[in-house]
Amino acid sequence: MQSQTTTTTTPPPFQFPREYSFPPFFTRQHNLTTHHAQLTKWASLVLSYCRHHRLYKLTLSDSSASQFPLFYNAKINRRLGISDIREVVEFLRRDGRAEWVGGSDSNNKEDGGEGGDVVWIYWRTPEEWAAVIEGWVESTAQRGSVLTLYELREGDGARGAEFHGIEPELLQKALGVLVKRGKAQIFGNEDSQGVKFF
Amino acid sequence: MSSRKGIGLAAFDRSRLTSAQYATHGSALRSTNAQALETQLSVFRSLLQQFAQTHAKDIRSNPTFRAQFARMCAAIGVDPLASSNHSSDNGGASGSIWAQLLGRSVNDFYFELAVRVVEVCGETRPENGGLIEVRKVRERIVKSRVEGASDITEDDILRAVGTLKPLGSAYSIVRVGSKPYIRSVPKELNTDQSAVLEAVQVLGYVSVSMLMVNLHWARARAQTALEDLEGEGMLWIDKQSEEWEYWSPGFMLESQDPGIPG
Repeated sequence: MQSQTTTTTTPPPFQFPREYSFPPFFTRQHNLTTHHAQLTKWASLVLSYCRHHRLYKLTLSDSSASQFPLFYNAKINRRLGISDIREVVEFLRRDGRAEWVGGSDSNNKEDGGEGGDVVWIYWRTPEEWAAVIEGWVESTAQRGSVLTLYELREGDGARGAEFHGIEPELLQKALGVLVKRGKAQIFGNEDSQGVKFF
Repeated sequence: MSSRKGIGLAAFDRSRLTSAQYATHGSALRSTNAQALETQLSVFRSLLQQFAQTHAKDIRSNPTFRAQFARMCAAIGVDPLASSNHSSDNGGASGSIWAQLLGRSVNDFYFELAVRVVEVCGETRPENGGLIEVRKVRERIVKSRVEGASDITEDDILRAVGTLKPLGSAYSIVRVGSKPYIRSVPKELNTDQSAVLEAVQVLGYVSVSMLMVNLHWARARAQTALEDLEGEGMLWIDKQSEEWEYWSPGFMLESQDPGIPG
């Protein structure tokens, strides 16, 4: 799922919350209040898991999700069903924390990508990423300078920055936010895009 | 008026003098009086302080002693609530006994604890349907406190729930088996439901056939009790086992998974 793995030392294992070892957590609860509590727990688990592993997208096909440790606890042999996963994603989406890939560009698909398999998981929303980038530009005094998108993602200058290694498409979205606010301008063509910060 | 002798301008001076003398004497009396009272008060305070100091450990650690001490203070007219002025600087005499020695008054202690109990019940109600073991409440409260805070017991929590009674609140203690629970929803458990909850305490979960074997219930009876409790949100259902299992949400809060079958 991660495109380029730079020389990152293996991160410490993700600390699953207690409910992850609670078998009924993987079965949809009937009681509405209970179910809501369950969804809330799943939503925060998905976000913290993705944040820990720096996953920007999840693929929700039957085959990939059924072995994915986030949704499958091998130790107690319980897995969250695909329809329940979709429900969690929908819960996140309503909260602005998830978005179907291709879903927001309503011009290409009428059904809004609901049937799609790939979903953005926004442990940081594009707006939040925009703020992070803006803060970084500010603190490194690079206002007025021009950077390529590649430099932002993989460059040495941005090595310590939080957005280092960010998914290119998500970077585009975040910069789009800045462009809309008049804080940045993107130019160049597909392969060699640059951005100027104001 | 003017016919009598001796009444001249000097008389005005004299009367002014006497009234001034009376005034000074009066204020002197007042101040000695106040001083005496103040000494008494400070003696009393220091005695109370001494008592609290020598028994501070007991007051903090021993819940019954804590209650007795509060009762004694109430009897001699010291209102622990009124004297627990946290914001007073350390020079201020009023209330600082409590603030200094106990960090808070005994009643305050229970009221504050009650607030935490209400918070914990509210936080966990969505996942446990408003029924939580007192031990779990204590665990959560202890964990959320800053280190160095005084220890609290389950007994303290029971007492704290007791302080909520005047508010006419729905918080009450129910016993399931041998364990006290706090019920924060107006819902009575029938005997079957209590029996199920008691059975759940053993392994963390229970199934229809387990109830049939162990309690000699008919299937319908077991099913009804379980479904009722699940419907109330007091049990969670796991459909991925061979037979559906009904789990106590309390086991989710357990520190480490002792009850999870391999």
